[in-house]
Amino acid sequence: MSWDRVAVVGAGMIKFGELFDQSYEQMAAGAFAQAIASVDNGLDAGEIQAGIVATQRGSLWGQEGVGGNTVSSAVGLSGVPFTRVENACPSGSDAFRIGAMVVASGVHHTVLVIGVEKMRDKSTAEGLLSRAAAGHPLYNRGETAPVLFAPFATRHMHELGTTPEMLASVAVKNHHNGCLDPYAHFQSDVTVDQVLASAPVCHPLRLLDCCPQTDGAAAVILTTPERARDLTDSPVYVSGFGVATDHPSLHEKSTYIGLPATTKAAGRAFEMSGLRPGDMDMAEVHDCFTITEILDIEDIGFVEKGKGGPASVEGQTAIDGRIPINPSGGLLAKGHPIGATGVAQICECYWQLREEAGERQVAVRHGHALQHNVGGRGSGVSVVNILSRDRAA
Amino acid sequence: MNDESKGPSRHQAVKPVGVLGVGVAAPSLRLATSEARAAWGEGGGRGKVAVCGADEDALTLAWEAAEEALAASGSTEVDGLWWGTSRPPFAEGPSHSFLSATLGIDPGGAGGLNSGSPHAGMEALASAWDAVAAGHARRALVVVSDALVPGLGTGSETSYGAGGAAIVLGPAAGAPAVLASRATRSAPVLDRYRADGAYATGDPYDPRLFREEVYLPLMSEVARGAAAGMAALGQADGDRREAATTPVSAWSLADPDGKLAAVLAKKLGTPVPLSAPVQSELGDTGAAAALLGLVGALAEAGTLGAAGYGGGRATAIGVQVDHPVPGADGCAGRLANGRAVGYLDAAKARGLVQAMTDPVPMGLPPGGAAFVRGNPEMLGLLGARCRSCSTISTPPSVHPTCIACGGSDLEEVPLARRGTVVTFVVNHTMPPPFVAPLPLLVLDLQDGARLMVQGTPSDAAFIAIGDPVHLVLRRYALERGVPVYGFKAVLDHATTDETPGDQTFRETAIRG
Repeated sequence: MSWDRVAVVGAGMIKFGELFDQSYEQMAAGAFAQAIASVDNGLDAGEIQAGIVATQRGSLWGQEGVGGNTVSSAVGLSGVPFTRVENACPSGSDAFRIGAMVVASGVHHTVLVIGVEKMRDKSTAEGLLSRAAAGHPLYNRGETAPVLFAPFATRHMHELGTTPEMLASVAVKNHHNGCLDPYAHFQSDVTVDQVLASAPVCHPLRLLDCCPQTDGAAAVILTTPERARDLTDSPVYVSGFGVATDHPSLHEKSTYIGLPATTKAAGRAFEMSGLRPGDMDMAEVHDCFTITEILDIEDIGFVEKGKGGPASVEGQTAIDGRIPINPSGGLLAKGHPIGATGVAQICECYWQLREEAGERQVAVRHGHALQHNVGGRGSGVSVVNILSRDRAA
Repeated sequence: MNDESKGPSRHQAVKPVGVLGVGVAAPSLRLATSEARAAWGEGGGRGKVAVCGADEDALTLAWEAAEEALAASGSTEVDGLWWGTSRPPFAEGPSHSFLSATLGIDPGGAGGLNSGSPHAGMEALASAWDAVAAGHARRALVVVSDALVPGLGTGSETSYGAGGAAIVLGPAAGAPAVLASRATRSAPVLDRYRADGAYATGDPYDPRLFREEVYLPLMSEVARGAAAGMAALGQADGDRREAATTPVSAWSLADPDGKLAAVLAKKLGTPVPLSAPVQSELGDTGAAAALLGLVGALAEAGTLGAAGYGGGRATAIGVQVDHPVPGADGCAGRLANGRAVGYLDAAKARGLVQAMTDPVPMGLPPGGAAFVRGNPEMLGLLGARCRSCSTISTPPSVHPTCIACGGSDLEEVPLARRGTVVTFVVNHTMPPPFVAPLPLLVLDLQDGARLMVQGTPSDAAFIAIGDPVHLVLRRYALERGVPVYGFKAVLDHATTDETPGDQTFRETAIRG
């Protein structure tokens, strides 16, 4: 099977970080401007017929009911159909998938997909850590974001022999890649020793095993393959996607050494595209924590279950490795402004396939890239998108 | 029997009731009195007092003692719950109905809450006794508990403690022990008190005045009355026991300052009070004192007494023990597993010292509909068992369909209380009001249910996959003044931290 209905013709993002001096609206406008400017042969903003917005948690900046119209107004497209979608940490990737389906449906020919997240208008305690007081008063009480993945680390270590050093090697690699990415929140190296000595956050995860709380925005422009020909000589095509859900509580998991939502979502994307893990030149996967990247590369099928840690230590996932993972620096170094993350990963795949990634360019042999997120309540939602340099035959 | 009486030794004519089982509970922390004195620049201080941890209170102590007593009595079926405590979790509110729900008591059952002073424990006992004697209840669960809060820098910091006890009462015929006599005396005197709206209880104005004019006269009068009443044993209808000719051989006595009980016991011509070891371990346990000091002694045959005091009222009872009462034997051991803490930690745990940071509020308001829906299943630890595939989904109210097969034919069931650790985490970085280290454990329970609950800070450094655990009721949160109770996991093997600070974790405070 293969799929051949949507092309990506523009991609842009702002530098991620603690952007105290930028409002949500200013970040959205910044990413939008970058995306528009990136279209090789130029694109009039008036061509955009619809927008799909990914913002996961408006309460992080004091806004509960954020709507698509916040962004349409901010980017100067008020009046245009804009819809906000939310699907936990994969919000950005799901916005992309939905945008692609809108174009494929024929209802709109040119669609903006934009992810925006303002996380640092609240303190750390009131921000993501406040998740510990949300949810069920007993069964979610104390469940901060690291709690979504730390129990998998505990079990992965117990059953498969993964070590804290293996987790740390993921942080070292991604921080190093971040040094090569001008958009990354962190642009400095760390060592294994520094990771192992960093403050305990949620056993067995330490501070440098965790992604930061970051502000950011990213946007891509989708259109039909026919229109894409006029806009650029090297569009990138959407060749497949998949979504899967799992139960929303950590006590309802069928396994603690993998995330079935990832495996199912990736399986659906591979089936839709007719591709396999071995066809990917690189992947941007969800590394909100070091353990998560190890789970991801196993669950997607890049390495066997249990081999994720050794693969990281051995350099298989480095930019020049067998299967480059998170050349952008990943969520660990680039940051994780939740709704923007998936869209920023698409940006990285776009640049990599067009061989515009500068010092962090991977070898493009097959012409395919995979983008993945997982998260949400019970780590129970995953979205995978696959992009290809060439149109499917 | 009627030796040197110093006043009328009136006793009430009461029908005996049987004691079928007993249980006790102690909080997890101990504070050396020398630490309390040193905090204020004073020397000296012997012994220790018990302090409730941040997730314990008079209700959680009541739960634990009651579970023990019910198990010891051979049946969890009772016709009512009678609870005495001077510090119910709500000064006005659903304290009794919450405790009742955690114990699975019939919602149509009898009983009630006695409060208002440490005498509440004896009042709860007397009410339950009357109900059983009148035939209005066949089996009655009596629970007494307290977690006294002394004012910072006051003398009571070296005596106020915490603890709980429970007794199952039933028919006298065939019971291993019977409550056989009772005397009460009331006087309008003001000794130590807690004003409406005050957080801490205050010392008596004049300790010697209290001793000479209140404690010794009232307590010795009721003790003599109860002792005299033991002679009436054997004349009650339907009771074939022989009349007790032995006077009460030993007393468990409420001991507000740690010294008064010994003086009273000597005055009554009896040896060191039965309650002395409990007093040494826990301090003054308020409404629980008289009975908590008694129940361990019900392991041996004899004629014993207990006398409690509070708010100008004193009550004494006489107990005839023929056979060891189930549950009595393990009492002393169950009280000894406390962890030593310093003065500041004790003050924080008691709520007297709080960080001046804004706590993150709970997402759900505790008075809201989600709690009305959720309280029975949270307090009762209920799950939803699928009739098609037997999988248990928890909690019921958010599972209209089975997590395994998707079916909707579900029935509510109480969950097992023991299990093993599947996986876990320990939070070290938490915003206020959370206290690190905060373990969260995914458990496989013995009935096949799987659950994720909090663990206790003292277990945090020791948890491993595969460890056996049991579930205990604790206070998960104090949200806008409202306590939120639920079950936490405690490791089965002893995890008493004998040297605080040995553990490898450290707390990380979040600042801004």
